[in-house]
Amino acid sequence: MTQPQGEVFDLGYQRYDGPREGRMRARKALWTNGIRTSLGIGRGARSKIMPILFFAAVMAPAVIVILIASVTGLTDDLPGRGEYFTWIILLVELFSAIIAPELLCPDRRDRVLHLYLVRPLTTDDYVIGRWLAFFTISLILVYAGQLVLFLGFTLAADEPFKYLQDNWLDVPRFMAVGFLIAAFTTTIPLAVASFTPRKAYAAGFVIALFVVSSAAAGILTECDDDGRDPSSECEPLTGDNAKWFELVNIGFVPIAVGDLIFDEEDKSPLDVQIYETRGGEWVVVGWYLLLTLGPALLMLYKYRRVEI
Amino acid sequence: MPPLLQASGLTKIYGSTTALQSVSFELESGITGLLGPNGAGKSTAIKLFLGLIKPTAGSAEVMGEKPYESVEARSRLGYMPEHDCLPSAVTASEFLTHMAQISGLPPSHARTRAADVLRHVGLDEERYRSIGEYSTGMQQRVKLAQALVHDPVLVLLDEPTAGLDPAGREEMLLLIQRTGSEFGITIMLSSHLMGDVERTCDRVIVLDEGRVTEDGDVAGFTRETQSIQIDVDDHRAELVEALSNRGIEATIDGASLVVELGAAEEYDTIRDAIVETDARLRRLAPRRHQLTDIFRGDTQ
Repeated sequence: MTQPQGEVFDLGYQRYDGPREGRMRARKALWTNGIRTSLGIGRGARSKIMPILFFAAVMAPAVIVILIASVTGLTDDLPGRGEYFTWIILLVELFSAIIAPELLCPDRRDRVLHLYLVRPLTTDDYVIGRWLAFFTISLILVYAGQLVLFLGFTLAADEPFKYLQDNWLDVPRFMAVGFLIAAFTTTIPLAVASFTPRKAYAAGFVIALFVVSSAAAGILTECDDDGRDPSSECEPLTGDNAKWFELVNIGFVPIAVGDLIFDEEDKSPLDVQIYETRGGEWVVVGWYLLLTLGPALLMLYKYRRVEI
Repeated sequence: MPPLLQASGLTKIYGSTTALQSVSFELESGITGLLGPNGAGKSTAIKLFLGLIKPTAGSAEVMGEKPYESVEARSRLGYMPEHDCLPSAVTASEFLTHMAQISGLPPSHARTRAADVLRHVGLDEERYRSIGEYSTGMQQRVKLAQALVHDPVLVLLDEPTAGLDPAGREEMLLLIQRTGSEFGITIMLSSHLMGDVERTCDRVIVLDEGRVTEDGDVAGFTRETQSIQIDVDDHRAELVEALSNRGIEATIDGASLVVELGAAEEYDTIRDAIVETDARLRRLAPRRHQLTDIFRGDTQ
């Protein structure tokens, strides 16, 4: 018979006398948890599929363009960094619509929100923490492809140093536009999610909002085909006002602001008309701010009135 | 030093409904039961102490601070709600670590505390399973664990045995008793179940229609009376008659006979009557008050 080699002691309940970092730690924890939730970290494999797919889809255009640039040696004739955002905006909006509600809806559905609000957190801390978490993810999403494009073009150029000298200004530009896109695509889905504990309802509503507004803008800016010579330029049914109706497509608004920052030559014809109109740029910027700050304030208000 | 918890003229009015009316009491240590029927104002009182709502008048203070004004004061409070409040998709370990951080603990300490507390509530083995896979009893333990994970000085438990089967209820009450006595954490337990309060609490505050109707030690409410309780399995009617023949009036109270004790010698008389009727004696003891008597106004 073997002799016992050791003994297990129950130390009993130990009081905690370590550091307590208060509200700031609570805010950080909420931010970190929001990032982990968005990416499906600490959850089953199924939770990670969507983020991986969207990251791959957003990176694909940048990688393809760089591959072409490295094979052909062309850098000037390929689509640029301003256009990249136009390609990926729909994907970023779709990603936000599907993933962002994950940060708010389950906390209300499972009533975990109660447990947050009896700790050193206010409803404002909660909303801002969740917003910052998803904003961080969105920033990474929109910057990653741009960084690949910029570094790829630099390395593929015949004279990388000269390329950097000529194009360095694009870095603060794409960072500014990326910031605006991320703020926009973070706020609207989270604001919608603050009204329902069901993720599917929030995601469906946001997708419908983008689709319906895009369709409505399409109808309002449609060409008048009656008796039009096919070779002639498009004359919208709504005439001169068509340029404003383009802004009904809310998913397009961050791109319109981006065109202003990038000062791209290949703006859409209606974009050109807006910016040629006196004060047009302020209308676009004002509309963007309304669509971003409005839902943000609504979300804060909604949570301040939440019933516990 | 201010009291750990203090209600001073605490009043909460919702529209035309007065949930609490000028309630005052203090709490220092031990386990205190907040007892009352549904709608008595128990949950409103807890929400006021947690800072979730503001009082209409008076004040609710914890360690001298008003939780609805001082957010930091909440970092030393624990709360176990009556309703479901757990995420189903994450493991108990991950959830508790997160909640410890939300209470202000650094990540490395939070992980250690989560493991310790889960061991204390008996979920050591299951801590890496998703909470959604847990039984109701296990989920109740996770709810208690999240209230303890940051080592609060005061824990507010709202109907902690709600939805549990008898075995689960027993385990939860034992756990609460240990938390209060062994862990040294002050507990305020809200319940409409007198048995839960009688089993676990040192003190009871009775709320009815938003007012404190009784406040005192549980031992005081359950002290011995001047009555003797006699439980017999058979020949009850004969025993009543035999006692009556000896000049002792016995009243029937449920399954028991109750005799108002005059002199100590009456014990012998009762014994003789039981022997004479050949009744099978189950119990002969001084009767104690029960918490149910509070609602009958029979605690004097």
